[in-house]
Amino acid sequence: MIELRGVGVTYSNAWRALSNVQLKIDKGEFVFVVGSTGAGKSTLLKLLSREEVSTDGTITVNGQDLKHLPLRDLPAYRRKIGIVFQDFGLLPNKTVYENVAFALQVTGATRQTIRRQVPHVLDLVAMSHRPDAFPNQLSGGEQQRVAIARALANEPFLLLADEPTGNLDPETSLGIIQLLNHINVRGTTVIVATHDHAVVDFLQRRVIAFEQGGLVRDELAGSYRATETQTETQEERA
Amino acid sequence: MIFGSLAFLIGEAGRNIRRNGLMSLAALGTVTIALTVLGGTLWTTFRMTEFVRSQPEKFNRIDVFLPPKAEREKAQDLLEKLSKTPEVKAATLVTREEAWRMMEQNQPVLTQAVEENPLMDKLEVEMKEASKVSQFAQLLRDKAEYPDIDRVTDAGEEVRNLLNISRLIRIIGGGLAIGLFIATLFIIHNTIRLTVFARRKEIIIMQMVGATPGFIRLPLLLEGLFHGMMGGVIAGVLILYAGKLVSQFVTSVHSPLIGEVPTLLSPSAVFNIIVVTGAFLGILGSHLAIRRFLRQL
Repeated sequence: MIELRGVGVTYSNAWRALSNVQLKIDKGEFVFVVGSTGAGKSTLLKLLSREEVSTDGTITVNGQDLKHLPLRDLPAYRRKIGIVFQDFGLLPNKTVYENVAFALQVTGATRQTIRRQVPHVLDLVAMSHRPDAFPNQLSGGEQQRVAIARALANEPFLLLADEPTGNLDPETSLGIIQLLNHINVRGTTVIVATHDHAVVDFLQRRVIAFEQGGLVRDELAGSYRATETQTETQEERA
Repeated sequence: MIFGSLAFLIGEAGRNIRRNGLMSLAALGTVTIALTVLGGTLWTTFRMTEFVRSQPEKFNRIDVFLPPKAEREKAQDLLEKLSKTPEVKAATLVTREEAWRMMEQNQPVLTQAVEENPLMDKLEVEMKEASKVSQFAQLLRDKAEYPDIDRVTDAGEEVRNLLNISRLIRIIGGGLAIGLFIATLFIIHNTIRLTVFARRKEIIIMQMVGATPGFIRLPLLLEGLFHGMMGGVIAGVLILYAGKLVSQFVTSVHSPLIGEVPTLLSPSAVFNIIVVTGAFLGILGSHLAIRRFLRQL
């Protein structure tokens, strides 16, 4: 479903954010992307959300070549993926209900669809009890749940989460990661970039690790730190 | 679905204006001031041009004086001759007796002090074109052609000056109009750019959830339209009120030069032009600001 072949990203200041990345992620997988700051985790997610375009190699998502995706097709592509940010990215002037509905309104969804879908996803993330609250009236964990609900509103096949627990306490973080796991179990492919040891070790799902822009580890059921017995390179998987 | 989306976008623009109250107020204030300066300057220039243009009409008269105690027959002959001249619209004989009677009414003290009527017969010649006044007056001063004329007075110099002023106002006013239009557009563009910049996070989120550029742009354009129109309405009211005050002052002056100068633009037309200009500048300013901002993302 997602395939990166020889992908590299070099910025205008000659900084090489990613270098020769070979990666394949199948439909329905849950993948943690780990690595230190500047290793290339966020760049990978930005490539998949098409916020950035690779300078080398090819990226295909569901058969679509992202490098050559015309700008006019970008909104349609983004509607098929859900994005969750570290800082939640909720619109401060909109209520919980409006924030989630917004993702549907931009697609031109009918009122009936919005009335059906918004309560459904709010229920899924356990936020159906506060539809009229504004983001500043919610805790960090609640805001992230609303952000996940918004990401799910269009029933995406892929959910990208960049440090979703970065601003949360450990207990709330586990709750969010369990929620993401639940969404994955329902069939959505989930890719989570994180620094959070606890959540990675808690779920024991596939882990890919980056160092200085290169993919250095790919474990099928890994933890945050590499263990020799579990290490399996991407080449071996291929 | 299209109408549903449109209604949503209009609602979205309304909500944005309401919820970003302080920023909207700042934008509205700036747009109002810019439009008041632009509209006020343009209208003043226009009215001054109209006023100056109307002045030569008040100077299209030549007074032709005959020698004291000239024979009335000669005055009649001259009247007939001038009346038939193509450049002349009308000519009237004011006899020295009539002039004396008017003087007795208007300035009795003066007439009582004088024993004998010292006035001369006078022909009041009204020209068809004010610009010909000076030239025709010069012709009448030719003793060979008009030996019966004692003295000719006209407002040739004043007419020339006023026509020059009229031309100058048109040039300066035109230049000012272009300059102020660009300045106003720049101010509105910058103001709306600030409101767009303040909402950059919101715009990025819109892009990330799959909003099309048109979907992002339309509420912002509508906000620009609102600020431009509302700014235009307030500026229009201010300008018309200021115009009324100036008009009241001018009327109180009672100058023979400043009478009621007819205008091609009624107050409602002035108001409509300012509102439409505000709306146009609002949309254009928003469009430029959003285009530049979306390009930077």
